[in-house]
Amino acid sequence: MQAESTLWTHCIRELKAELPEQQFNTWIRPLQSIEQAGTLKLLAPNRFVVDWLKEHHAERILQLVHDLDSGVNVVIEVGSRTPERVVENPRRPPPPVASGTRQAPPPPIASRLGPAFTFDSFVEGKSNQLAKAAAIQVSQNPGESYNPLFIYGGVGLGKTHLMQAIGNAMLARDPGARVSYVRSERFVGDMVKGLQHNTISEFKRSYRALDALLIDDIQFFAGKERSQEEFFHTFNALLEGQRQIVLTCDRYPKEVHGLEERLKSRFGWGLTVAIEPPELETSVAILKSKAGLLGTEIPDEVAFFIAKRIRSNVRELEGALRRVIANAEFTGRPINLDFAKMALRDLLAVQDRLVSIENIQKTVAEYFKLRVADLLSKRRSRSVARPRQLAMALAKELTSHSLPEIGDAFGGRDHTTVLHGCRRIASLRETESRVEEDYVNLLRTLTG
Amino acid sequence: MSQLALPLQLEDHAVFESFWPAGNETLVAFLLDLAATQRGPGCWLWGNTATGKSHLLQAVCERLGDRSVYLPMRDLQSTDPAIIDGLAAREFVCLDDIHSVAGLPEWEPALFSLYNSISDAKSVLIVSADTSPRDSAFELPDLKSRLSLLPAFHLRSMPEEERQKALQLRASHRGLELPDDTARYLIARSKRDMASLYALLDRLDAEALVAKRRLTVPFVKGVIGF
Repeated sequence: MQAESTLWTHCIRELKAELPEQQFNTWIRPLQSIEQAGTLKLLAPNRFVVDWLKEHHAERILQLVHDLDSGVNVVIEVGSRTPERVVENPRRPPPPVASGTRQAPPPPIASRLGPAFTFDSFVEGKSNQLAKAAAIQVSQNPGESYNPLFIYGGVGLGKTHLMQAIGNAMLARDPGARVSYVRSERFVGDMVKGLQHNTISEFKRSYRALDALLIDDIQFFAGKERSQEEFFHTFNALLEGQRQIVLTCDRYPKEVHGLEERLKSRFGWGLTVAIEPPELETSVAILKSKAGLLGTEIPDEVAFFIAKRIRSNVRELEGALRRVIANAEFTGRPINLDFAKMALRDLLAVQDRLVSIENIQKTVAEYFKLRVADLLSKRRSRSVARPRQLAMALAKELTSHSLPEIGDAFGGRDHTTVLHGCRRIASLRETESRVEEDYVNLLRTLTG
Repeated sequence: MSQLALPLQLEDHAVFESFWPAGNETLVAFLLDLAATQRGPGCWLWGNTATGKSHLLQAVCERLGDRSVYLPMRDLQSTDPAIIDGLAAREFVCLDDIHSVAGLPEWEPALFSLYNSISDAKSVLIVSADTSPRDSAFELPDLKSRLSLLPAFHLRSMPEEERQKALQLRASHRGLELPDDTARYLIARSKRDMASLYALLDRLDAEALVAKRRLTVPFVKGVIGF
């Protein structure tokens, strides 16, 4: 990295005194300077900032520089002193091109795999075990077993982790494998760049030379017809060459609006697996594993406390865990249940406000197209009793109300009725997939 | 004719040294550590207005110089989101009042893309907002989910008894002596939020420089007229 210019250091001292603080911090402070051969180069993070500076501040900057050294030329352009931090992997040379053609090898695409995303660090539970098993299978037999592998599920449930774990496992088995993890918007960006710079054929050859293409969040292809067209051909070329394709999406392929039918149908050629929100025990295991990666241990009761209160997704769990660890680190106190409650009290206060018994009753009633009054009534037909029991079980899980309080809130029922309802739902969730699905959907609505 | 005050801003503003933590000590320690080590994805600060969120974000940038960038999203919400392209090349990206662009269809995908680039580059994202991440009004689930990874710190409002110390600390950073009785006088008579108190201090600073007076109660009374 090159050193900052002393001339610029002097200038920013002046500009800091002249400009309102916020303006200084926004436009001047992020400029990185390089001084060489009579030129002061000021590097801005993007074209927008360059244009703004040229319009509003360039004149004054030039004046200040010339006051100190009239022979210096000032250039403002997009750039950074720090080299781009991209994870590259060693790769073997691309496959030979068909005879008769004399094309140069395509430029390689970075793997962009995060080394932390491995199968070992992926915590398995009921909600994701099928997806994990399929991913392991694919990493061991790329291009053969399930192609494409389509992993779908809500945000923050580990789709990206699993996808990158496939790539890392492939590289561990064959360090020369050409594997690339690409977010769909990056694929679009690379393609647009290719069109703009007349390098679309290199773009095509680079992508089609891969052994495994991992594309994340393909829902962002929706509505982008040119990108879909290009992806369709890349997809076909890779599949024909028995190269592996792994895709993730926030929903089932058929449900992605704005995606061409021919793509949707091809996505279903291999295996489509879902990742569901983690159940309580898996969330606890995830928290303990993440705490370990952050160099801390947390007691079970703390992990259960966090997992029980924050159910929407794994990222939010991690955010809460990091908050507790930060508090422990900077106060020097050990992590126990009271400490965790204290550290998260502001976050949980918000959640408590959101998840009340009334809110649960309203949500459950809407879900089953009933009235709240039905849930509170004496009616015992199954169409009302089952939703009522689900609502009671959710109230027990998501609020800190006692069983008698929950009973009271459901039309003055006895606490043993609540207990019976909760046990009934727990047992039905094991045996009837419909009940399990309703429960998980409602839980997600109430906590997500 | 009174002498004009010099258009000079003293370098006392948004730095850690002039921030009176008042219950936010853990957050300040966390930010200082983050600035020193670049450890972790960043953080999300939330709280009412005038609790010091902007001050802290700018203090981080002040520490880090050109390794950082600060953007006041409230002022930029009607600007082209191209302003955040390439920001991940800076090691610390501070977005103030990020809630100002929540729900804006042209901004949310741009922020999502920025978040991903920051994460790829192992840079740090520090944001401030008026709510917790969970309660924020972002509509793109992928963005909202990613932002929830940031440990969230709630900034507490300044307790009554700490206001005087905070005001005096701020004054001393400008080289001003703010006697106890003057500080009490100001707190008792001006608007109660810290932003108004600090703005008043700015005004008194300028007037005291022109009048070459100390901040006595009679002087302050003459300036603010109550």
